[in-house]
Amino acid sequence: MSRRIQILPDSVVNQIAAGEVVERPASVVKELVENALDAGATVVRVQVDGGGKGRIRVSDDGGGMGRQDALLCLDRHATSKIAEAADLARVASFGFRGEALSSIAAVSRLTLETREADAEAGTSLRAEGGRIVSVQDFSRRAGTTVEVRNLFFNAPARRKFLRSEAAETRAVSEVLVALALANPRVATSLSSKDRTLLDLPPAEDVATRVAQIWGEEEALSLLPVAGEEKDLSLRGLIQRPDAARPGFRRAYLFVNGRPFRSPAILRATDRGYRTTTSAGQRPWVFLYFGVRGPAVDVNVHPAKLEVRFRDQALVEALVERGVQEALSLPASSATLDSHPAPARMAVREPGGGEGGPPAPRRDRPPGPAAAAEDSQMALFMPGAPEAAGREEGEEGGDEAAVPMGVADTGRPRLWQVHDTYILAETRDGLLIIDQHAAHERILFQRLMTAFREGGQSGQRLLFPVTLRLPPAELAQISELRGLLARAGFEVEEFGGDTVILQSVPAPHPYFDAERCFREMIRELTEGSPLVRSANNQYERIAMTFACKGAVKAGQRLSRDEISELFDSLFATDLPYHDVHGRPTIVRLSKAELERKFGRH
Amino acid sequence: MDLTITRQNLHQGLAAVSASIPTKTTLPVLSNILIDAQEGGVWMTGTDLDVAVRIRVPAEVTVSGTLTAPGKKLQEIARELPDQPVKILARGDQLELRCGRSVFKLNGLPSEDFPSLPQIRFEEGWTVTGKHLQRLIHHTSFAVSTEESRPILNGVLWELRDGRMRMVATNGHRLARMAVPAGGTTATSADFIVPPAALQQVQRLFKTDDTLDVARDGNHLGFKASGTEVFTRLIEGTFPNYEQVIPKDNDKMAIVQKASLEAAVRRMAIVASDQTHRVRLLFGKNTVHLSVLTPDLGEGEDELELHYEGDELEIGFNANYLLEVLRYIPTDEVKLTFKAPERATIVEPVTTGDEDLDYLCLVMPLRLLD
Ligand SMILES: Nc1ncnc2c1ncn2[C@@H]1O[C@H](COP(=O)(O)OP(=O)(O)OP(=O)(O)O)[C@@H](O)[C@H]1O
Ligand SMILES: [Mg+2]
Repeated sequence: MSRRIQILPDSVVNQIAAGEVVERPASVVKELVENALDAGATVVRVQVDGGGKGRIRVSDDGGGMGRQDALLCLDRHATSKIAEAADLARVASFGFRGEALSSIAAVSRLTLETREADAEAGTSLRAEGGRIVSVQDFSRRAGTTVEVRNLFFNAPARRKFLRSEAAETRAVSEVLVALALANPRVATSLSSKDRTLLDLPPAEDVATRVAQIWGEEEALSLLPVAGEEKDLSLRGLIQRPDAARPGFRRAYLFVNGRPFRSPAILRATDRGYRTTTSAGQRPWVFLYFGVRGPAVDVNVHPAKLEVRFRDQALVEALVERGVQEALSLPASSATLDSHPAPARMAVREPGGGEGGPPAPRRDRPPGPAAAAEDSQMALFMPGAPEAAGREEGEEGGDEAAVPMGVADTGRPRLWQVHDTYILAETRDGLLIIDQHAAHERILFQRLMTAFREGGQSGQRLLFPVTLRLPPAELAQISELRGLLARAGFEVEEFGGDTVILQSVPAPHPYFDAERCFREMIRELTEGSPLVRSANNQYERIAMTFACKGAVKAGQRLSRDEISELFDSLFATDLPYHDVHGRPTIVRLSKAELERKFGRH
Repeated sequence: MDLTITRQNLHQGLAAVSASIPTKTTLPVLSNILIDAQEGGVWMTGTDLDVAVRIRVPAEVTVSGTLTAPGKKLQEIARELPDQPVKILARGDQLELRCGRSVFKLNGLPSEDFPSLPQIRFEEGWTVTGKHLQRLIHHTSFAVSTEESRPILNGVLWELRDGRMRMVATNGHRLARMAVPAGGTTATSADFIVPPAALQQVQRLFKTDDTLDVARDGNHLGFKASGTEVFTRLIEGTFPNYEQVIPKDNDKMAIVQKASLEAAVRRMAIVASDQTHRVRLLFGKNTVHLSVLTPDLGEGEDELELHYEGDELEIGFNANYLLEVLRYIPTDEVKLTFKAPERATIVEPVTTGDEDLDYLCLVMPLRLLD
């Protein structure tokens, strides 16, 4: 039974971001649960009374503390997790300040019960306002329980700032959900008085954990993202655009298993979604960064809510690209399957372990380069999402939905039905393509590409189209004249309320230029969710043009036109998504058909 | 109804009408053909309501009468029958067909259900030669519009004047106009806008040496020659004033071998963008330089010698429009005239000798951006 905890010297203390650690019950829960996780717990139970204002109790089955450590741990700057300033740069545990327990103890009545696995007896100690008032032998199984009563009993001013019981309970639950997502294999529960609010058994992967928290349906709406850049890796789950809803957004970011906040990274996510969602839709995201070495500084916020990446631009680029790539894969498309393949990857232990519980992290020497690649990242192993299914031979790998032969021999068999949808046979089932939505995506990308090259050339008209328009629309036209011309619409002001269309784009043989132009201008003038979802004038024009100019539902297409539409769609970056946040393609797997027909 | 007909005559008649039967229809009687047995022959009629075809084939009719029967099935049966006389009888609404030892009974529908054809008095119309009509249709109908917001442009304008007739078609991007002398026209001048589907039937069913009677009744037009009749609904409305858009002041002229220009444009088209099919033509003294540049794909260049004396001119076209127009130009050499890169180009045949060919195509350019 040796002592592990040391008091940090001032030279180290001075380098730690200082500030208030304990603000409300949720921050107490956060600190205690992080300690439990640092101690290698496989089970963490949290109970709160009165939203945590009355009582907070966190127990774990982690490594526990010996008597000496137990006596030391309530002291300021007492920590077993770092020893010198240099350790700060490579810290892999949640804790490193030696601040949490002392800050909590200082404003509460605290009971600590702990026992190391190999110790004969455990220790129970009580503290009031930070002062230890009793120490006893105590028998319990290995692990630690910390109970915090009467938070802020000696700081009435701070107690006044606490919110209602319901609000504090919600905050506690939020904190715990984030940590539970960071550690899916740790059984986690929360009860308030006698009500169970969360009861999460160990989960094999993040998607399973999402399903435990929010339900299977939500979990099935997620698809994997992955990316790698220098010392940085990204794994995660993001929501399919067709499942994204307006309103409250679930967005969780983790770096080396540590939850953090970053509006800038969420904005990068949204850039990655770019034209696949319409204004106001808020797709869920769960992003896990793995960082090697000093590329991230976690010591920037007193409550560790933020981190600083050495190269923030690189992180944002990685996210944006990762999301874009995920959305270009078949898995990102909508599906009719009642049992779609979930976006999960098997958990593998780093270093090829047998998949048991993660090794306790306690006292692992801080900061070897491999630390960043520890069990957090293993949740998304191995490698990129496409590779995963194949290597593992997992059933229902989504890459099977790639249209048959698109990559190799020509194109699959295609049929048009109801003059509106195109059916394509795939190796693994069927794609149902909405011809209008698909053509929207094609026209959008073509026009955006053309804008970069100067513009799209307009077909001059033998019989120019004369239009009379309301003043607001005329104003819109004269403001956008240059851009409209680069989109192929050459507009001449005729005077009064009249303009003349001298040339128009000709995207397909059934294109009604006048109607397209009128509808575009009206929408650009009046605004719409589509117009609002655009990031700039180019996108605004390209989106409205795509939407109004695309082949309509109900248009019979020739064989060649069907083939061309199909080829052009798969030549775009985002073949599975239109520009309204709707799918262009709905998948139906052969497996699902077989299920429906009772083939197995 | 009771008649005997040779297998060939039966098959020939059915083949002629069944092409006008719609493949999908909500009105079941339209998948049938109307058989009308009269003294000395049978009339067979098929229609999709827009266009109707009626044809008379010789038969020995013992009892006259009418009946409708499934057109495609009858045609298939007629194709497979042995070359022996075919006997056709009506049994109520059922058609009974006997040939050698083959017997068929096909369920028909009452002939009153079959749409009635427009009553057209051909004696009050015009006469035109099959040869002229065929030529006009061939050289113009390709240019009709496929886009449905301006139905007028979905048809071919047919102008009948004393001594001359002409057809014009356009989709607003390019236009084709041809005129021929019309001998023997009697009625007053008239303009029709005819759906191309009807003109296709006319092309298919009438021969160049036929003399056709053409007459109108309300918004229907009928064509008739030697036992074959085609009826069509006309498109209503006023055709745009095309004369006004044919440039009179195109002052730059190029004369080129049609085949070599076609070949060069076709080569360029391979690398042209899927959407605009844009090729650039740069006319300089006695040469034309062709080029395409398609982002993401690549570029191509070519050069041709031709006769060109005007100022240098660079102009862009949809390669498909250019190729299409060139395809219909019936002479070895073709003349292109221009005014400016944003104005209509005229494409015309270059006739040798005194052969009179009144044919003109317009192609509107693509705007070049740079
Ligand atoms: N649940 C626990 N199981 C085992 N040891 C614990 C537990 N909680 C705390 N400790 C020990 O007590 C020490 C102090 O905990 P405390 O949370 O105050 O500081 P820290 O975790 O080291 O750093 P930080 O202030 O950043 O959280 C830890 O370093 C650890 O050794
Ligand atoms: Mg701690």
